[in-house]
Amino acid sequence: MRHRFANLTLASVSYPLRMMPGLGWLRSLLGNRIGLIGLSILVPVLLLAVLVPVLPFADPFKTNVSVSLNSPSLEHPFGTDKLGRDVFSRTMTGLQTSLSVGFLVAGITLSFGLLFGTLSGFFGGKLDRLVMAGVDIFLSFPSLLLAIGLVAIFGAGFLPVVVAIAIADIPRAIRLQRSLVLGIKSRAFIDAARMVSATPGWLMARHLVPNTIAPMLVAASITAANAILTEASLSFLGLGITPPEPSLGNIIREGQMYLQEAWWISTLPGLVILLIAISLHLVSDGIREVLDPRARKS
Amino acid sequence: MTPGTQMNPLLQVDQLRTYFHTREGVVRAVNDVSFTLNSGERMAVVGESGSGKSAMAMSLLQLLSYPGSVESGRVLLEGRDLLGMKEEELNHVRGGEIGTVFQDPMTSLDPIMSIGDQLVSHMIRHLRLNPRQARERAAQLLTQVGIPDSEARLRSYPYELSGGMRQRVLIAMALSCKPKLILADEPTTALDVTIQAQIVELLKDISTETGMALLFITHDLGLVARFAQKVAVMYAGRIVEYGSVYDLFERPQHPYTQSLLRTIPSIKGPRPKRLMQIGGFPPDMRQPIEGCAFADRCLAAVPQCRLEAPELEVKHGRQQAACLVDGGIEAVIGQTMPLHREGAEPLPQDELRVETRPVLELQQLTRHFKTDASLFKREGRTVRAVDEIELSLDPGQTLGLVGESGCGKSTTARMLLRLDTPTAGEIVVEGVDIAKLKGEALKSFRRKVQMVFQDPYSSFNPKMKIRDIIMEPLQVMDIGTREDRELKVQDLIRTVGLDTVYLDRYPSQLSGGQRQRIGIARALALDPSIIIADEPTSALDVSVRAQVINLLADLRERLGISILFISHDLSIVRHISDKIAVMYLGKIVEYGSADAIFEDPKHPYTQALLYAAPVPDPVAEEKRTIRLIGGDLPSPSNPPPGCHFSTRCPMVTDRCKQDQPVLEQMADTRKVACFHAS
Repeated sequence: MRHRFANLTLASVSYPLRMMPGLGWLRSLLGNRIGLIGLSILVPVLLLAVLVPVLPFADPFKTNVSVSLNSPSLEHPFGTDKLGRDVFSRTMTGLQTSLSVGFLVAGITLSFGLLFGTLSGFFGGKLDRLVMAGVDIFLSFPSLLLAIGLVAIFGAGFLPVVVAIAIADIPRAIRLQRSLVLGIKSRAFIDAARMVSATPGWLMARHLVPNTIAPMLVAASITAANAILTEASLSFLGLGITPPEPSLGNIIREGQMYLQEAWWISTLPGLVILLIAISLHLVSDGIREVLDPRARKS
Repeated sequence: MTPGTQMNPLLQVDQLRTYFHTREGVVRAVNDVSFTLNSGERMAVVGESGSGKSAMAMSLLQLLSYPGSVESGRVLLEGRDLLGMKEEELNHVRGGEIGTVFQDPMTSLDPIMSIGDQLVSHMIRHLRLNPRQARERAAQLLTQVGIPDSEARLRSYPYELSGGMRQRVLIAMALSCKPKLILADEPTTALDVTIQAQIVELLKDISTETGMALLFITHDLGLVARFAQKVAVMYAGRIVEYGSVYDLFERPQHPYTQSLLRTIPSIKGPRPKRLMQIGGFPPDMRQPIEGCAFADRCLAAVPQCRLEAPELEVKHGRQQAACLVDGGIEAVIGQTMPLHREGAEPLPQDELRVETRPVLELQQLTRHFKTDASLFKREGRTVRAVDEIELSLDPGQTLGLVGESGCGKSTTARMLLRLDTPTAGEIVVEGVDIAKLKGEALKSFRRKVQMVFQDPYSSFNPKMKIRDIIMEPLQVMDIGTREDRELKVQDLIRTVGLDTVYLDRYPSQLSGGQRQRIGIARALALDPSIIIADEPTSALDVSVRAQVINLLADLRERLGISILFISHDLSIVRHISDKIAVMYLGKIVEYGSADAIFEDPKHPYTQALLYAAPVPDPVAEEKRTIRLIGGDLPSPSNPPPGCHFSTRCPMVTDRCKQDQPVLEQMADTRKVACFHAS
């Protein structure tokens, strides 16, 4: 089930990219220094996570008490845990889970944000007030607390975690899309299209969304980074992915008891989280710089 | 008055060269510019956008923003080189010895500081006055720049002032340290014509009274003629002509100046059928320029022009010009201009089009906006944006709608396009009242009226190719097959004089003039009978303006389209219009044939507009008695009782303040709404 999601999330990110007229900006992202650094970390990590099942890694679930708490070595690059499981292959499997959560949340958030934000901003009036009231209610809860509450209701596990994090992030995405739409709605090319009787659907699909998708993608890449961190936090608290299924959060949680004698169990997966979060932020900075020349500095 | 001969000029600029090092390459914005300015002299630097005039001005003060840098040259202020100065010394010069006035007074003032505090802190810093002295002087300065009730005004914040008032405050600020030179970069471009005339007059008076030198940067040749003693014309980063205002306007020597002066329609005298136009577009400053930068657009160009960049040299013992061809375009074509025409020949006039029924009639058209009632006010205020106006437009004719910002002309246009619904009244298009149309009927009406927008950039979706932009109306209306549409689009882009290669470009890859042509092509896509052109040339460079005006005039002739032309530029309105309506605060104050109104304006507001419009001829400007109207445009939400113009009218009587005059027929060619018109 995890593997299926990994593929699905990749597709959900590349779809809006294909929708965009001209991929010139993607090419310039590759030419952008910050974006390139981010991508050169993110892409190998992504590949690694996707290819975990076919790579000759040790079985992440196989216990072997004879090698309990071994420090990092050539055989076990990240060492082993109390039960003698290989921390590296557990981390890689956990990475797959984490990235699936991140991109799935980003995809869901982006879709809901685009849908409700566009409708709300474009039509205004009662619909707008209703949507915005909902957004305000959700935004008045701290997002981690909201996620904890939702997990408490639905129980721990992969899907509840994704849903919980997405629900906490969607209101922000709606608000962003709505404000972007409001800015573009007043531009003259919208009048020009209305002048020839363009329908609301046409205006939204041809004019509004193509002009807001880029900043929304920037926001989505940050959402992905935050979702990975939130999933780790939830799993660390025991509310996320349940053991023995590995996730970066619960590996850290398990290793926490052995910090004194086996630092590697918690620290190395923690560094992996850091790496992904940083690379996602770099990529989003890169996208922003490519799209908004004003953000460029010397 | 010959430039450059005085012994000790106030400002001497030598071989100034400024480049912008961008990612896309080096933009050679200013190339070896030299000029001198003496104390008390008023000099204008004229050029189009991208000519390097603003970059040059910013280089003088070392205020270039990244990635610009001064490459070489000298800027001597009373013999001291500003380019080698330390930042501390420069700060003393800026604001102290050289005052500045910029285009947008709103962004130049701190929005959260009162006017008084901004003036005072400036003077304390530069003149070391104590706060009380500084405040007194601030009040004097406001009085000097014509702001009434100056003590009270010191406590105002920028948002409480009108655009004209804010520009006066900026001028007061520039004056506050008794500078030797004021640098004004397009100081009136953001203002309405009547306010522009006030500000120009103010700057002129101040320079005469105080003996300050003025360096005035503008794109408006009319203002130059009204204002300057000396002129430098810039093109592609170089001064191409430099001399006294009389020499330059009377006998321009450089083909660019010569052509520019001929592209501007006159507000007096006979109207030519077409304007002289300069073909092509200004060069891309990122590319290195071989030879003379104007050669590609020049009627007098000889092969040598493309090889050798001409230097400035004295022509006929008068001004300097940088041109290899003696006499410029006059040497080639004499005094008469060929009317070069683009596109196809006009279609034979339709014999049947003798019907005189107007294509468009507005009856009692009204649009009121209600501001929302708030917690404290039970009833919102009503803004009478458009108040019972009546107009008509005959087939194949052009109606010019003139007025300053806030007069309701754009609201009228929006109602005609049914982007806005009238509060009351009728809009009759080809005999059908469209004011309340809905659904399919509205859709079929929309094919008949189309618009050309003011800002050709914001009227295009930046993510769409030109092909899709022009095709959009056809797609939305579901007209023709894919192939039909493609053919139609190719046809349209050729109609507006562009090549089909542009179809695959994005709007950002086109110049302003090209974009406006695309805007016209899109408006033509549905074969409309009426085109509404809302300030179609105000965002364009002077040299490109005539191209667009000629194109519209040609299309009117060839396709029999009627045009509603909205503008504040009187000379262009006069050129293209058959009839003119002058609007003031939602009302039409004068309406009639273009010739009659320009010959003999009856309404005091029309007269004021004509006085305010500068003529590109310094001799005529000097002879003209310029009667300016004072004051600002009243707020449309709170117009004065009686005649709306009564607060600014020089002929106001008690009756004007109580009763509102109605539009009455005067002679057979026009209507005027004034008690004094006779």
